[in-house]
Amino acid sequence: MATRPFRLIYIILLPALSIWVWLLVVATFSLRWFSIERPGPPVREIFPYGEMRVGVDASYAPFAVASAEGLFGLDIDLAQAIAARLGAPVRFVNMGFDGLYDSLKTDQVDVLISALVTDYSRTNEVLYTLPYYNAGLVLVSLATQPLASYHDLRDQQLALEFGSEADQVARRWQRRTPMTILPYELPSYALDSLRLQQAQAALVDATTARLYRREHPSWNILFTPMTDSLYLLATRRDRGQTWEAINQALAELLDDGTVEALIAKWL
Amino acid sequence: MNSIQRGMMGSILTQSLHSLLPWLLRLSLGVFLFRGFAEPVTAVPLDPPQRVITQKPQVCVHTRLIDEVYEGVIQRSLQMVREMGADTIVEFFPWAYAEPAKGQYDWSNFDRIVKHARNQGLHIIARMGLVPGWARPEAEVANSTLNTLPAESYADFARFVSVFAERYAGVIDQIIIWNEPNLAFEWGFQQVDPAGYVRLLHAVYEPIHTANPNAQVLAAPLAPTLEPPGSPNGLHDLIYLEALYEAGIQGYYDAMAMHTYGFTEPPETPPAPTALNFRRAELLHEIMTRYGDGDLPVYITETGWNDHPRWTKAVRPSLRVQYTVDAFRWAENHWPWAEKVCIWAFRYPAPTNNYPDNFTLVNGDFQPRPIYTAIQNFALGRSTGEALWLPAPSG
Repeated sequence: MATRPFRLIYIILLPALSIWVWLLVVATFSLRWFSIERPGPPVREIFPYGEMRVGVDASYAPFAVASAEGLFGLDIDLAQAIAARLGAPVRFVNMGFDGLYDSLKTDQVDVLISALVTDYSRTNEVLYTLPYYNAGLVLVSLATQPLASYHDLRDQQLALEFGSEADQVARRWQRRTPMTILPYELPSYALDSLRLQQAQAALVDATTARLYRREHPSWNILFTPMTDSLYLLATRRDRGQTWEAINQALAELLDDGTVEALIAKWL
Repeated sequence: MNSIQRGMMGSILTQSLHSLLPWLLRLSLGVFLFRGFAEPVTAVPLDPPQRVITQKPQVCVHTRLIDEVYEGVIQRSLQMVREMGADTIVEFFPWAYAEPAKGQYDWSNFDRIVKHARNQGLHIIARMGLVPGWARPEAEVANSTLNTLPAESYADFARFVSVFAERYAGVIDQIIIWNEPNLAFEWGFQQVDPAGYVRLLHAVYEPIHTANPNAQVLAAPLAPTLEPPGSPNGLHDLIYLEALYEAGIQGYYDAMAMHTYGFTEPPETPPAPTALNFRRAELLHEIMTRYGDGDLPVYITETGWNDHPRWTKAVRPSLRVQYTVDAFRWAENHWPWAEKVCIWAFRYPAPTNNYPDNFTLVNGDFQPRPIYTAIQNFALGRSTGEALWLPAPSG
């Protein structure tokens, strides 16, 4: 029999303790419950035809290109990785860019994976996923003389490709910040100009910059994004389950580094 | 009326005014608010009438004005087309926009393009297409596209095009019937059907000429493609054109529209049935000649090069400039049958954020690309003589 002070502690602490015990039990079970890997919805619920039909314009290197051996590129690998994650076979339907959205609308394909950027005029019919790549313009500068914005280009020489998007953007910058634009016939010449220290910076698209860096791995440079061009996938708005499954698979591939590895493989 | 009655009347009037005043104030506020929410007046005052100055009458450009919201953008586009030295535009006039319900017409979008084009001194070639929902079988609407024209709606389309031809007679006399029917996408994602397209021409030809005796019916331009027979995507343009003649196209068109793109080849590259390049138009014209239609006029309603960095069928911007100007010279010297050579495209109403954007001559905010200036220099007979880019850097 507990003495009076101990009885008091017993009466006051036991209910409090039991609450904590119960909370601990609930938390343990919750963690266990949420950590259980459950199978996703059956493939036929995600893809009515039992396969992931991918609409792609395979004329966009190095994202999707057609050859005698078949299709290859970053978008093709990404589609295969998503299909594998969802346990679905994949089938590619190669077509021109103009037909992509109509093919989705007319149920020829389940998803478009074709270096697409959000088209806001289509969002009443289409759902877009998370972005997987930013193809916008980057300002390339030497790591030893980093330049982070067009303000840093005052009285500097900026190399770019004649007639390109970079050319148009730089001419707008030039109205605000005095700089010398060096237009070259090819974007690789613009990057050569920076590498040979004939310019202090180059403005090119991210893909061009990455591909050039592969050829010059020892060159110590910085890329600063200047514009965004976010590539993502598109599904039909009335197929919410398809979108959810694909978006979830893409999120997992982004989280576990698969997408980054694919980008590194191709760019 | 005695003084008492006058006093009562005055009192009643005063009371009435007193009670009316708040309502008048509320009404005024309502009118003010309504005006604030009402659609603004968007009409743009016309410039003084203009005339195109050019030394190259073949130069023409395909515009994309029908989806523009603001009339000022239409006006600005057409000013720049004139200033470039093109005297003709090709523009899309979608059936679905002008006849949203059967027999009910709304010409306002068409009228404002026509008004500004005329004011800039520009001719218009009209491309017709895009099927309204009511002209497609209801069960199929969900999975059909705006390019799906069922055979039972050919008569409705013919009636619409004839009303169009009559309304714009003397202003628009060249009318293209459909676009690239040898592509499944342009044929409503159905198997392409040359005989079906010929039946469409049979349906529209007489009604258009009855409505406008001076009209020219242009047979649809075919997409340059090598798709073999049976392909779900489309059909080889040369095979399709032969099939049109076999199906009886002769006598049901007055001129041929053509699309011919250079892709990665210079304009002088010789044509071949297995190659897609600028001179493919010559192969199409050979087929016309073989069937006895070689004397009919041809309108190249789309051509050009693309300079997107990632598209595998594009060239660099510097080559685009050179090839395009050389293509105009080639047409001038070798294609007497080509009435017009129209570049695709002047500007888009919204960017695609993909390679099609790199077919345009100016960007969204009317900043001219170098290709615009090059065509302008060619059309106006100017020679700049200065180098446009620097030589490759050397270490």
